[in-house]
Amino acid sequence: MRALDRFRRELGRLLRDRLTGLAVLLTLLSPLAGLTVYRPAAADTMLTRFLANPALAGGVIGSLLFGLLAVYTLDRARRSRVDVLADAAVSPLTTALVRLLALLTAAVLATALTMAVWLPVSLHRIGAVFRGTDYVLAYALFMGLALPLSILAAAAAYQFTRRADLSLALLAAFAGLGLTVWSDSWQLRWLSPAVWALSDDFSNDRLFRTVAYQRLTWLAALAGVWAVSYLCIRRYGKGALGSLARNARRVCRPAVAAALLACAATAYAAQPFFDHSNLDLTAQALFELPYAEGLSCLSRTYQLFPDTDAGTLTGRATYQFRNTSGQGQTVAFGVNPGYDLRSATADGAAVSAVRTGYEESGMALWEVSLPAGETAELTLEYGGFPTDWNLTAVATPGEPEISADYLCLENETLAPYLLNVLPGEDGFPTTTEITLPGSMTVIPFGTSRAELAAEHPDGTRTWRYTSHNAGGILYAGDYVREDIEAGGITVEFYYGRRHQAVMEAAGAVEAVATVIDYCTAHYGPLPVSAGGTLKLIQSRVAGGGYATDGASLLNEADFTAANLADTGKGGGAGEVMIHELVHQWWGLGRMFDEAGPDSPWSAEGLTCYTSYRIAKELYGEAYAREAYVELWQQEVADYYQNFYVRNPAYLASLPEADRAAIAASLYRCRQYAEMPLKLLRAEELVGGEAAMDQILRELFTRELDPLNPYLTYQDFLDACGLTEEELNLG
Amino acid sequence: MGKIFRYECRRLLGNRLFAGLGLILLAYGWQVLRRVTLLGVAHTAPFSPWSFGDYLSRMLPLLWMGALFFLTRFTSAEARRAAVLTDAAPAPPRQYAMVRCAAALAGTALLALACLAEAAVFYGRYFGWRQWGTLLLPAAVTLLPPLLFALGSGWLLGRLRPWLLYPWMALPFLLRALPLPEALGLWNGSFFTRYPLSLGTLDPAFSLPAAVRAAQLALLAAGLLALPASAAGSRRRL
Repeated sequence: MRALDRFRRELGRLLRDRLTGLAVLLTLLSPLAGLTVYRPAAADTMLTRFLANPALAGGVIGSLLFGLLAVYTLDRARRSRVDVLADAAVSPLTTALVRLLALLTAAVLATALTMAVWLPVSLHRIGAVFRGTDYVLAYALFMGLALPLSILAAAAAYQFTRRADLSLALLAAFAGLGLTVWSDSWQLRWLSPAVWALSDDFSNDRLFRTVAYQRLTWLAALAGVWAVSYLCIRRYGKGALGSLARNARRVCRPAVAAALLACAATAYAAQPFFDHSNLDLTAQALFELPYAEGLSCLSRTYQLFPDTDAGTLTGRATYQFRNTSGQGQTVAFGVNPGYDLRSATADGAAVSAVRTGYEESGMALWEVSLPAGETAELTLEYGGFPTDWNLTAVATPGEPEISADYLCLENETLAPYLLNVLPGEDGFPTTTEITLPGSMTVIPFGTSRAELAAEHPDGTRTWRYTSHNAGGILYAGDYVREDIEAGGITVEFYYGRRHQAVMEAAGAVEAVATVIDYCTAHYGPLPVSAGGTLKLIQSRVAGGGYATDGASLLNEADFTAANLADTGKGGGAGEVMIHELVHQWWGLGRMFDEAGPDSPWSAEGLTCYTSYRIAKELYGEAYAREAYVELWQQEVADYYQNFYVRNPAYLASLPEADRAAIAASLYRCRQYAEMPLKLLRAEELVGGEAAMDQILRELFTRELDPLNPYLTYQDFLDACGLTEEELNLG
Repeated sequence: MGKIFRYECRRLLGNRLFAGLGLILLAYGWQVLRRVTLLGVAHTAPFSPWSFGDYLSRMLPLLWMGALFFLTRFTSAEARRAAVLTDAAPAPPRQYAMVRCAAALAGTALLALACLAEAAVFYGRYFGWRQWGTLLLPAAVTLLPPLLFALGSGWLLGRLRPWLLYPWMALPFLLRALPLPEALGLWNGSFFTRYPLSLGTLDPAFSLPAAVRAAQLALLAAGLLALPASAAGSRRRL
């Protein structure tokens, strides 16, 4: 009761202090910085611009202000030289605890006040896509939880050093690390979490979970550090260590500190959001595993049960094998590292399934023993919280999303992926069943069509579809479908229901038709492998896209209300959509050979080049030059001038982790920037755009050799009558 | 005066503030070297004068803060109370003030040296590189003017109102966030990442354009003028 009374008095004193008022007022105004000067989240969605950035700015500025306020408050008694008297009247341990609670309460009040004041502004600016849950979660996680972190850090620094000056220096260094030096680590950037986009049209559960986890990890760590500093509070005229020994006599105090620190360390090490894939992006160990001799996969069946509340997936995958080797085999599976293989049975008998510990390209390698026998039915029960590839941890976190609003399961996240088994005569005949909430429509990414298989009393529905690919991608959500006739094919255009107004205002349908008409006219019609239809599916806001036979992706960020309002952006909208549609011609319509890590040749080069040509035709030469050619030139110049590219000996001498990280940062440039520039040079050498179009048309429509259908760099050079050296960028 | 200088140095350097600042700087510096400097700036080597300058400019806000913290020991309310005694001593007040400035300068220089030594260890360990001579000019140009200015201006502000030193500590942090003109690029570190790119050659030798030289000289001059000016303001109380 007395402690409660002290807390009440301390809080009252703190709230009456003019400096507290100033800190709260400045915190209240700090989201303004997110609308103007401090915009760490780069995407163009409305929620990113008018919710994520203001909340992140509020978090950074507010936490620095409250950190300073904490040092000022804790130093008050010492500054006024009444600390000896105050400590004689009340235990300094009690005082420290009460002051911390008062500061934390003031921080909660400041956050609540900021949320209340900015609610009408956000409602007005965000418009139709505003959602209360997003608003509360964004402010609570991006801003609200940042303030206690700073208070705990500052209070701990003060309690360790008992000096305001050193505490301020420590806080400045800690904030500097969090904002700059540690910005490439999603776990370490304690002040401003890695948030690059909030989706307007679909849910953001995964991103909020990621930030909440990071914030709570830091909260446990800093609470642990504060608890250790609490033990160092000076008593009986002793120094820090003497006081520590005295205060630690109550075992519960060091035990709480140790438990908090252990909890934070465990949470840091065992984070469930990103995998530990090999940082060397050129590593292909999983795709170069030797095929199991005499073993083929005849068919597969997947049954999937996503838990849309928890963001997890449970599944059962059954594989029919033919084994002509007469001996047992080891089957290698690439499984999402967040999943566990809970059981493995072959023809009803348990078999061994071992996780090797190696992870690459977002997959963990598992080895499952298959007994000898001409046929075998292997059943794997798996599930868990899927991880994302560590490559995206800072750049584009927030995937894979599994919610009642939106779901995307890609390859190894859908089901264990066969790595060393060849398909039977019919490819990989696969039947997939997935049970989802009734509001969700299932769209397989490819030529397959999902049929409703069953409706359940709890409102969920089971969908079923068949496919023949080695992997598979599945989208589900509240989608609207619109059919577009273009280039002699029908495009089934799926987009989120919330996005309907924006799609109509942006003329998305016309833009899609224009791209398809352009490619058909210049390079020839698409091979009709899916009954003359192509799916174009809108994804959650993402850093890029992809395409497969019969389907392409359209990024939510391609057409946003913010893009529509930005007249200066010209034709900038829709570029991921253009790129991925062009892949239907380059990469899918015509496949490319696997280039080595030292070669720039891939489908990306021709796709980037064609996207540039389309942008030039649609939006004018000036725009295309600025948005494509100048960017490529800049990237290529940066690449060639990079110190480690010019001096590979120094790169080789670095520790392996540093070497891999630097190599990864240089990887994409050659395919996405150098090759398009080489193609521009080829265009110039062969006599201009018309001549180049004719060459590309001939390459696209040429008779394919079924044994080697790939388009190689040499094919391209021969068609142009050029040599590799002639395309060197001088 | 030599004895007083030694005494002031011992008072300033032989305490937890100096040791604490040193540790904070070394910990922060290692993170900068491992995560930023390792990549090199403006396509140059991590051990180029440009990358080294970038490292120092990232350390500067903390060094600036440290220099001002040293001054708080001379301008605080406690120091003012003790001034009743020191003023009664037979030493000339102006010289006494200069000696104290020199002690603060020595403390700041030692902190800066710790940063330089840390970089030397990093370069030696990671790249086997030991041509320290090429880094002296960027170190002098990056650190000397702002740190002297910090001491001079800090002394003046501290004499005016001791609490003014605390908001003054935020200045380099603020400058790092501001888009300064090219001539003032050394004040927020943007000079080291932008200027070498504008020279049009790879691995350019370290050089300073006239405008940047003038800005640094002006800062140095302001610092050098402020120091004796603040010392001149020290009068014996009657």
